[in-house]
Amino acid sequence: MNTLIRLSLRCTIFLSWLVLGAAQAAGYDAAQTLPSLPKPFAAPDFTLRAEDGKTYRLSDYRGKVVVLNFWQTWCPPCRYEMPAMERAHKKVQGENIVLLAINVGESEDKVFEFTGQYPVTFPLLLDTEGAIIKKYPVIGLPTTFVIDPRGVVTHRAVGGREWDDEQLLGQLRKLLIPSGKPGS
Amino acid sequence: MMRNHFGNFFIALGPATLAAAMLSLAVPAVAVINTGTDAEAGLPYWEVVEHGVSIRLVQRLPDQTRGFFQARGFSIADSELIAQSCVFQTVFKNVASPSDPGVIEYNLDEWIVQAAGAPRRMKTREDWQKEWAARRAPKAAQLAFEWGLIPTRQSYRPGDYNWGFSVFNLAPGTPFDLDLVWRQGGERRSARLKGVVCAPDSHVSPAPQ
Repeated sequence: MNTLIRLSLRCTIFLSWLVLGAAQAAGYDAAQTLPSLPKPFAAPDFTLRAEDGKTYRLSDYRGKVVVLNFWQTWCPPCRYEMPAMERAHKKVQGENIVLLAINVGESEDKVFEFTGQYPVTFPLLLDTEGAIIKKYPVIGLPTTFVIDPRGVVTHRAVGGREWDDEQLLGQLRKLLIPSGKPGS
Repeated sequence: MMRNHFGNFFIALGPATLAAAMLSLAVPAVAVINTGTDAEAGLPYWEVVEHGVSIRLVQRLPDQTRGFFQARGFSIADSELIAQSCVFQTVFKNVASPSDPGVIEYNLDEWIVQAAGAPRRMKTREDWQKEWAARRAPKAAQLAFEWGLIPTRQSYRPGDYNWGFSVFNLAPGTPFDLDLVWRQGGERRSARLKGVVCAPDSHVSPAPQ
């Protein structure tokens, strides 16, 4: 009887390892998802100064896919995803896909200090008063919206992502195809 | 450095996730409760892992909280108030497979803190907003605080998650149980984290000469 129980336990353990291993291999633990919004909405326009000293207006990017990220320097997942956003930015150069990251409520000095540790070449906009984040349905940081070439917000990611993941980039590229339906 | 409430059998097997996977196969509705030392913070954590959901609370030392909020514009008195209120770093994740359309929702107003035999609510963003307005805290500090806290209400699609501070409004060193509630695909689910402890405060005095 004891032998049977032991055998059965070993089988269960083995099967569990198999399931877990397969799940991890498939990225089950860290799924790179980009959920579409059930109700896409027109992206509220804004003009913001960036850490590079330039001023950026969202509507200037009409005709392109915009990945619009809200973040703060203290927030661990914001920091984790910043290098992935930089890699994605480099991968999509010349493809009409742009990345804009809006820092919420922190000083220019703090953002500058952050870029010493996490150098990026896409614009880091400064929403020092927290006025722009209030125009978007953000509840927690980081939150990233994807805006299609018509200026419609079609996708939202809550929490960090590996933005250079080919599957995610594929979803962004799909939005550049004129026949691509929003939210698909 | 991990304990599992389902006994030593699973400890011998290795990571907590294995136990979670095994139990989710056998008894999908049973939450696995893990405790141990968070590898990154080096501080105790308490965690619920259920099918598709992971909620982890990691202790924060009062001194970490003082430093963090003073650096964001709070006065010494205001940062002391936060530091003395039992702050945890909370990570709430929807870890369901991308093919699972289940949305996970929660509302912190439904979570019950059981301390010294009395149930109480957590102190949420909305409670703090009133407190900061009354104390006339600087706007920039209030903004940092608002976005630093775990949202009071949130919904997560597969792959979504948040990190944020959660505040239990208890004195440093206080033990408590926490009843967590969330909805998964519209169905109400709950779990109890037992024996959670607010990080003790420590004041280092200069060594006698």
